[in-house]
Amino acid sequence: MSVKAGPLAVAAKTLLTLMYGVPILWILLTSVKSSDDVFDPSRTFLFRPVTTAYVEALSGDLARALLQSVIIATSTTALVLVIAIPAAYGLARTRGWLPTVALGLLIVLQMMPQTATVIPLFQAFSGWRLLDTTMAVVLADAALLTPFATLLLRPFFRAVPPQIEEASSIDGAGMLRTFWSVVLPVARNGVATVGTLTFLLAWGEFLYAVNFYLTPGQYPLSALLAQQVSAFGINWPGLMALAVLTSIPILVVFSSTYRLLRDGLTVGAVK
Amino acid sequence: MSAPATTAPPRRARTGPAPTAPRRRGGSRIVFLLPAALFLGLFSLYPLVQLLRMAVSQVTAGTLNADWAFTGLDNLRRGFETGQTGPAITRTLVFVVVVTVLGMLVGFGAAVALRTTGRWSAWLLALMVFVWALPPVVNGSVWKFLLNDAGLINTVLTSTGLRDTPVPFLYDQHWALFSVAFVNAFAVIPFNTLVFRAALMTIDPEVFEAAQLDGASKWQQIRHIMVPSVRPTTLVLLILTLVYGFRSFDFIYVMTYGGPGTATNTLPFLGYLQAFVRYDYGLGAATSALAVVGVLVLAVVYARSIKREEADG
Repeated sequence: MSVKAGPLAVAAKTLLTLMYGVPILWILLTSVKSSDDVFDPSRTFLFRPVTTAYVEALSGDLARALLQSVIIATSTTALVLVIAIPAAYGLARTRGWLPTVALGLLIVLQMMPQTATVIPLFQAFSGWRLLDTTMAVVLADAALLTPFATLLLRPFFRAVPPQIEEASSIDGAGMLRTFWSVVLPVARNGVATVGTLTFLLAWGEFLYAVNFYLTPGQYPLSALLAQQVSAFGINWPGLMALAVLTSIPILVVFSSTYRLLRDGLTVGAVK
Repeated sequence: MSAPATTAPPRRARTGPAPTAPRRRGGSRIVFLLPAALFLGLFSLYPLVQLLRMAVSQVTAGTLNADWAFTGLDNLRRGFETGQTGPAITRTLVFVVVVTVLGMLVGFGAAVALRTTGRWSAWLLALMVFVWALPPVVNGSVWKFLLNDAGLINTVLTSTGLRDTPVPFLYDQHWALFSVAFVNAFAVIPFNTLVFRAALMTIDPEVFEAAQLDGASKWQQIRHIMVPSVRPTTLVLLILTLVYGFRSFDFIYVMTYGGPGTATNTLPFLGYLQAFVRYDYGLGAATSALAVVGVLVLAVVYARSIKREEADG
């Protein structure tokens, strides 16, 4: 569809570009300023760029936090996919009261406030002696994201024509074999979309990490950032450098999956 | 990324191919649900039961893993009588309304503006989706910086003479809640834009051509073609945005931590503070249980609206 932009659309787009472009620009600018220049209006754009903030951030516990983020986000994504893929397929291909109840439950679970689930999970993990372990954060993150992943995956499996499954079973393939070698490859776009989203969400999650790790030494990047930004006397260049470093992996994932996200996110919500 | 409230609604596929394989094989596929049932049973449902048990018990840091004394509705009553719960509910409602109104209106407006083809639209959409994909801690940090006394927004306001003194965006009783709600809306707008835009793209271009031939203005096209045709999407998105605003805590955590005073203590965040800052897990659980009830109400509305939409076809 080719639509010409009117003056109002141009105004709206200018406003949106400022609204979403300026914060990104400001993170980048501030991260290469010295502390003295940060709030000096005369040095908003004209300043001597310094890498102090990055050098300080990198010399700290950053490598460890980065590793923690990678471990948490990839383990969570793997666990969520292993659980959600079969569940979404099962829900796409069954009828009756059981899948209906399961769907309702998943909707409720994905809407649960995380601030509510963190309280009993903290109690449970302390009882199971899992506090202060990465396992606790991964399990909690996976429990948080599995309902959402299952619900988003389900329409992708519904879109797989049942006929090709029938053909496969006539050829003598069993249920698991059919699922693995026929259905899954057809639904791979959905799996990629949901996997990407799960990774992005797990990368940014910080409430479980802040509460289940008992020492900041184990924090992933997101939790480190949350801790520093809510502290008094914020070191802004340092914080922005940390924000940039936290966002770089997001940029990498985002630029390689943008089309997938743009089209995959809206599956089912429209039509 | 703002929240995992980004779901496709579970609709029975009227569109698309026939939904189920032959019935005789349908039953056995239930086993595919087993891993999820076990996992969520242990790490989602069991904690919810525990939450409810804690809500009616006296649980402190010392008794967290001991036997809890049953106190009935004591926690709940204490929350209201100490004047914490009531105002928190009001604040939550204000917060949700601001997030939802901004999120829906700006999201729809942006979708209409970004319907146009061209490099700018494509680039801007990608930028917005990228900002949406950023961790809330990153977006929260930069907005805390921009809304600072000496931050960009206040610098612009004072240097253009619109204000004599900086606006206390994040440390004034009244401004703080609106500021955080605005940033929440900022974070959810890209997603709503994306979904609205996808819905707008499904409108047959001939409809617009016909409208133009009949002399319909841009406003009339929006009012009489676009708004009605995205109505089903609007409903689903409305509930998702409501839930998103309701359960939001990350921007509050990062930007104000509930303050100044109690100004940004929404219901979910109040429960968190009571449990993890004051170590009164029972009270925190009771407040959170109220939040869970709020979510349940929204979930029922959501499920019903999906059903009705299917029935309407």
